[in-house]
Amino acid sequence: MRVWRVIEPYIGFLLQGFALTIFACLLAIIGAVILGGIVASMRASQRSALRWVAHAYSDIFRNVPFLVQLFFLFYGLPELGIYIGAFETGVIALSLAGGAFVSDVILSGIRSIDRGVIEAARVSGLNDVKVFLRIVLPIALRVSVRPVGSVLINLVLTSSILSTITVNELTGVAKIVAAETFKPFEVYAVLLVLYASFTTALSLAIVAWHRRLNRFMTGA
Amino acid sequence: MIRIKDLVKTFDDSTVLDGVTLDVNAGEIVTVLGASGSGKSTLIRCINGLERPSGGTITVDGNDVTTKAGLAASRRISATVFQLFNLYPHMTALGNITLAPVEVLGKSKAEAEEQARALLAKVGLAGHADKYPQQLSGGQRQRVGICRALAMQPRYILLDEVTSALDPETTGEVLDILQKLATEATTMVFVTHEVAFARSISTRIVFMEAGKLLVDMPTEEFFAENGGLAVPRIRQFLSQIRKD
Repeated sequence: MRVWRVIEPYIGFLLQGFALTIFACLLAIIGAVILGGIVASMRASQRSALRWVAHAYSDIFRNVPFLVQLFFLFYGLPELGIYIGAFETGVIALSLAGGAFVSDVILSGIRSIDRGVIEAARVSGLNDVKVFLRIVLPIALRVSVRPVGSVLINLVLTSSILSTITVNELTGVAKIVAAETFKPFEVYAVLLVLYASFTTALSLAIVAWHRRLNRFMTGA
Repeated sequence: MIRIKDLVKTFDDSTVLDGVTLDVNAGEIVTVLGASGSGKSTLIRCINGLERPSGGTITVDGNDVTTKAGLAASRRISATVFQLFNLYPHMTALGNITLAPVEVLGKSKAEAEEQARALLAKVGLAGHADKYPQQLSGGQRQRVGICRALAMQPRYILLDEVTSALDPETTGEVLDILQKLATEATTMVFVTHEVAFARSISTRIVFMEAGKLLVDMPTEEFFAENGGLAVPRIRQFLSQIRKD
């Protein structure tokens, strides 16, 4: 097989890149979901200062190209005397950008919750923090799992941009292999399969999680 | 004792409660009757702090519900059952009932669950503890709603049209349970359209009209020819209900 003959000498190298992509994405997914949850709660807050900060954050990160955010952090932070590695910068940038979109989705989940359910929790004497953690967030997450999943898949696809700041993740190593072999078609065909298998696995996991969370819920 | 004095509630430019004064003493079962839109539910929502009064005062055993501390104290000793049940959809019946006793009263999980199972057994739902609201019928959900209120061992129970979303058969299930509660000397404020039932369990009946208390009478007097029935508006209201 033609593709295999080209790829075989580089397969270990490519898989290393793939592993780095998976690692960066999993860290960024955790970061984006936690950040998104916190920012969504701030945006739903009664306190206007919290709402303002959260809005400013999500507006900035949703409205600026990811490449610009990434360069800004990668080249900007050292100017401020903050030195972190390219990999760390990439994970932070992905988390920040992903978190802005995740907060959007969770916020709409929060807004879709039946007011009466929240009122019942309040009347029972639960304080605002407990109402949020025990009632609002768990219900919002059930509604939001699938759209959050779309955001996370997009985050995986976006991770290829980390190759522009010297992170040798999957796209980064593929560029090197393509340059060495002069066989870009074969190299990117493999890349396509690897990205698709990662995002497919992710979306299957999300469907399973959604099903599990909603096994006894409809309509809520 | 629940003391409501000169309560006013306005939404934008409409006045929903217009100077309501009402005392509910321990052990009383006060039914609030009135047409839709007369302010009955808003009255309940002001007592449990879901609406902030625009004027007047409400205290529950001396706790002013318009202050944060007063409202928290008042919510520990009173409970509400809602028209649309408002169960937590992501929790089992048991989870719905034990949440507040554990989180608010500081009970241990084991103690709260034992109590919850006893309550469920009492309302005929012993085998349903681990079901989610979605798996229960309307009448069963409302019975869980009542258990959730009772689990707080409240001195006062506020019932806001608790059978309005149920069919006649399941309404019976729920009313049977309330009947039992009534004999256990729980203090209740009961907003309802079930006039016959109200007559059988309440000690007092309050009739609301356009945000005001039209009458406030002991139950027998309310249904007497020379008492409540002598008021043309009440006579009209009751005959309307009987026609339904």
